[in-house]
Amino acid sequence: MTEFNDLFIKYKDLITIAVYGTAIMLILIGLYAVLLKKHLVKIVIGLSIIDAGVHLLFVAVGYIQNSTAPIFSPGNEYAAPKMVDPVPQALVLTAIVIGFAVTALALSLVIRLYKHHHTANIDQIKSLKW
Amino acid sequence: MVISPVHYIVAPLLAAFAIPLLTKLYKDAARLVPGIVLFYNVVISFELMQQVLKNGIINEVIAGWKPPWGINLVLTPFTAFLTTMVSVLGFTIWLYGFRFKRTLKGGVVKYYEILQMMMIAGSIGVIITGDLFNMFVFIEIVGITAYSLTAFYRERNGAEAGFKYLLIGSLASTFLLLAILIIYTQTGTLNMAQIAERMGSVPQSMKITALIFFLIALGIEAEMFPLNAWAPDAYEQAPSPTSATFAAVVSIAGVYALVRVLFTLFDVSGVHNYLIVMGFITMLVAEIAAITQKNLKRMLAYSSIGQVGLVLIAFGIGSKLAVFGAIFLMLNHAVIKSLLFMTGSYFIYNSDDKRLVGLNGMHKQLPYVSALFSLAAFAIVGFPPFSGFWSKFYILISASNQKMMYLIIGILLVTIIELVYYLRAVGRIYFAKEEMDDVAHKPSLNALVAMSFLALFIIIVGIYPDIITGYLSDAASSLLDKMHYVQQILGSK
Repeated sequence: MTEFNDLFIKYKDLITIAVYGTAIMLILIGLYAVLLKKHLVKIVIGLSIIDAGVHLLFVAVGYIQNSTAPIFSPGNEYAAPKMVDPVPQALVLTAIVIGFAVTALALSLVIRLYKHHHTANIDQIKSLKW
Repeated sequence: MVISPVHYIVAPLLAAFAIPLLTKLYKDAARLVPGIVLFYNVVISFELMQQVLKNGIINEVIAGWKPPWGINLVLTPFTAFLTTMVSVLGFTIWLYGFRFKRTLKGGVVKYYEILQMMMIAGSIGVIITGDLFNMFVFIEIVGITAYSLTAFYRERNGAEAGFKYLLIGSLASTFLLLAILIIYTQTGTLNMAQIAERMGSVPQSMKITALIFFLIALGIEAEMFPLNAWAPDAYEQAPSPTSATFAAVVSIAGVYALVRVLFTLFDVSGVHNYLIVMGFITMLVAEIAAITQKNLKRMLAYSSIGQVGLVLIAFGIGSKLAVFGAIFLMLNHAVIKSLLFMTGSYFIYNSDDKRLVGLNGMHKQLPYVSALFSLAAFAIVGFPPFSGFWSKFYILISASNQKMMYLIIGILLVTIIELVYYLRAVGRIYFAKEEMDDVAHKPSLNALVAMSFLALFIIIVGIYPDIITGYLSDAASSLLDKMHYVQQILGSK
């Protein structure tokens, strides 16, 4: 376990870059799917990937080097200075629930659209226009 | 019983989730319960507004966690005025839609009533919350209910409009989360008063980035150009009472969120000019699009976007008189546009033709509804004896005080466009000749009461605006007095 910690401290800049980079990559991949994919389900998947990226960014921002999870336990009552910031984690929990609801609603709308237009290709669904 | 702002949110949410159970006991509960709850909201909103005006800002602490740490609900004269307005209109729209689709099979009405009530509760939540992340949650409640209501009709093309709205709405929520994240990393708090206090020490670059994300995210909710492509489809495809709610409640909440963030959180110079420019483009594009529409509800939707553009212009001018005019216009827009959607839906209902051609000769079929529609059309363009005149008048005066002559010319030119398409609609009702069948759907009594109430309000405020200007003036000064807001929230520890 100590070896792992040493390794972690040695490459901490790299790991920070990796976490933030992953979050931003996820957001960009999701945006790519939402903007350029034609299939409705793929667009919904893109929305979920964007959400995941934003959530990862939140958790990464709240992280403090060498800290524990923000949980008070017996014998550990004064550990607050050694904890990661709990607020972003609470926000992410809320955001995950909201993201879940939106995804479920989006998929039900996709089913409705498919029944109405008999296609899931967004280019062929364009009865509403200026 | 002690009345507190929490009731605004708790009562509708409790009722919404109790309705499926209550309908098992009594079949009409789905239609009656929302009315009782919304009426209760009206009563407490009047009571709380009196308290706010007498004793100053109400700062409601939730669960004993004091403001910088916990979530707080804030009633300033501005938010108290908006909640009163939203509650009254919510109740009126319920009254209008009381007999709505009661013939639909399978208890579908139940879902409509639940979603409608939650949409109004969510909008009130956006207005009264004092916490940035809490505002995001309420915006999502409004969003999810609005997407579902847009896709309410299975036989119409609602799903397409709903999906479009959902796509744009979830991108907006992503941007809003990113903006909140930036604010949180820079100030270490989510309480709006504390953010306002600490905003001075935030680097300019971070401020601008967060501001841009906020403008994108809330601009979508507030129907600001070029982020408003969802609006006409959603307004057109949604059930008519819901279209009225979009105009009267949801867009008001969106504009409020934008204004609260720009006026209280940020002190970036130049954002006012941005509001004026974007507001003007919003208004111009929307009114030009409205004049080309052949569908009545789409025309009203574009007109709605145009009104929001004018509200943004007035907030952008930023003097006290302009903010006063902006809040007045928000009130007028909510009342008049609801009346237009309410009356307009009866024309559509009776003609099988959703296009403007369907209006031809309607005054013979529906004389009273036609008169109310014409009254609302004249009021929204701003003819003198009606309330719409005063809001536009105050905005123009404030623009002339700031020596913005081009803006005045622009607003008046756009008003001419507005006049053209509203007069065209009214002209079709009264002067176009058309062979007509008998009336198939006479307006029901509750709808007539709701519409007459709104029309009466337009006329009374138009003739005697002093009954409302006192509240508006308090609201405007409370929005502009940022230091007072911060002290009242953080000082009451």
